[in-house]
Amino acid sequence: MTTQALHPSVSPQEPPRLTGMSEAVLAEVAARLAEVVAGASVPPIDLTAMPLTSEDRADLEQRLGRGEVFATVESAGRSQIWETQFSGVWFVRHFGENDRIASECIEFGAAPEILFSHRADMSAAARRLAAALQSADAREKTDH
Amino acid sequence: MPQAPKLAPTLGELLQERGVSRRAFLKYASYLSAVMALPAGSASALAEGLANARRQSVIWLSFQECTGCTESLTRSFSPTLESLIFDLISLDYHHTLQAASGEAAEKAREAAMAENKGKYVVVVDGAVPTKDGGLYSTIAGVSNLDMLKATAKDAMAVIAVGTCAAFGGIPKARPNPTGAAAIDEIITDKPIINIPGCPPIPEAMAGVVSYLVSFVKLPELDHLRRPKAFFGETIHDRCYRRPFYERGLFAEGFDDAGARQGWCLYKVGCKGPVTYNACATLKWNGGVSFPIQSGHGCLGCSEPDFWDQGGFYRPLSTNLRDMGPALAGAALAGAALGAGAAWASRRHQESYQREQNPNEGDKK
Ligand code: SF4
Ligand code: SF4
Repeated sequence: MTTQALHPSVSPQEPPRLTGMSEAVLAEVAARLAEVVAGASVPPIDLTAMPLTSEDRADLEQRLGRGEVFATVESAGRSQIWETQFSGVWFVRHFGENDRIASECIEFGAAPEILFSHRADMSAAARRLAAALQSADAREKTDH
Repeated sequence: MPQAPKLAPTLGELLQERGVSRRAFLKYASYLSAVMALPAGSASALAEGLANARRQSVIWLSFQECTGCTESLTRSFSPTLESLIFDLISLDYHHTLQAASGEAAEKAREAAMAENKGKYVVVVDGAVPTKDGGLYSTIAGVSNLDMLKATAKDAMAVIAVGTCAAFGGIPKARPNPTGAAAIDEIITDKPIINIPGCPPIPEAMAGVVSYLVSFVKLPELDHLRRPKAFFGETIHDRCYRRPFYERGLFAEGFDDAGARQGWCLYKVGCKGPVTYNACATLKWNGGVSFPIQSGHGCLGCSEPDFWDQGGFYRPLSTNLRDMGPALAGAALAGAALGAGAAWASRRHQESYQREQNPNEGDKK
């Protein structure tokens, strides 16, 4: 998949290289995961504007690896979410137009926020479902 | 029993009717907080703020301009994430986009002003001619100058979109026959946000409006009233050709070996070191490229008087040399030594501005 993030691109004349940034991010991931285990809730690490080279990004993604869960969310475009091989560490990648990465972050906890159903959506769904059943009922009555 | 007046639906309710879930808000908020470099973890609060806000009434005035700013905002979004911005605002008046025309259009503007007194946002693109009573540009028989003053009077804030509205831009270029002026030279008693650029980056326009709608306050601005989130760094600070600048490797023409190898464009007139804008990070056309990546230097379009800086293809140092030996020295030292270039570019910028506007202090 070819994607282009918001981060500064790397000149084709300058072969992308590891800058040590992925190492730094991984250390931060470890520190935050330890806090989560101790019962704290910690903010996500936003990778979008970080000065990572493409090789840094690939290194980070590869070392975090893939765990048991992979999800696609279709809401205002596509998002991909996966649990890394480290339980509680989630990769969240949102796409904008032309399959460009609009933002990406690492979230911590039982599941990233975007996977949960929002209460407002649930109550709208309850109303919609009740209305659908009611009209089905009414149709059945007129049919008989 | 008298009934309480029915409140307009919130953005969350409004979009839910169209099948847009709160996940879309969260996604948009994550995108915005990344783009605007908001503190980590602010996406949830931003999403809730947006979902619970009501549609913001926006009156868009187009004066002495080329419509490029409107083109930039409307053409750059496909119906996904970024287009959500159009659901957040109620564009009550915009000559180019609205269906109504003539008297009906002017009535729509007056109605929106009366209904949302003190709460609407005025967006202006284009400079305002002030010479000879402002007669050089009129709409429905009203001069731009009078229309701006009347419309801004009861506004919550004014957003000057594009370099013409923010700094006078091309209409103000020498010899400025119409006496074109920037919005903040005319409106002095309202919060003003400048989003310069020729045209401005659509994400900057969308980001600022969304920020206003959800937090009901102005984002942090620099001394030229530009949001720091988008104008906090120079093009040069984030330019991918920077390693060549640092090593003193410059293209000397657009077709020489240096140009073909992607070397720094400083010597062919790049204004990146004194230009604050987000092109190098956000890029254009949905992140495809930006001028320097396409082989052309930055024109400095988001800076005051960019049109009159002595030539787009003349190196910055030459332009600065015309203005004074001390400045030229600073710029050349930056080019030769490379070290501390970001710091040097900030210094260039400051001295450059002082040189340009000797009588203008801090505009804040
Ligand atoms: S002078 Fe221009 S091309 Fe060279 S590094 Fe700076 S912004 Fe990039
Ligand atoms: S690269 Fe420079 S001239 Fe071009 S759009 Fe950006 S700020 Fe304006």
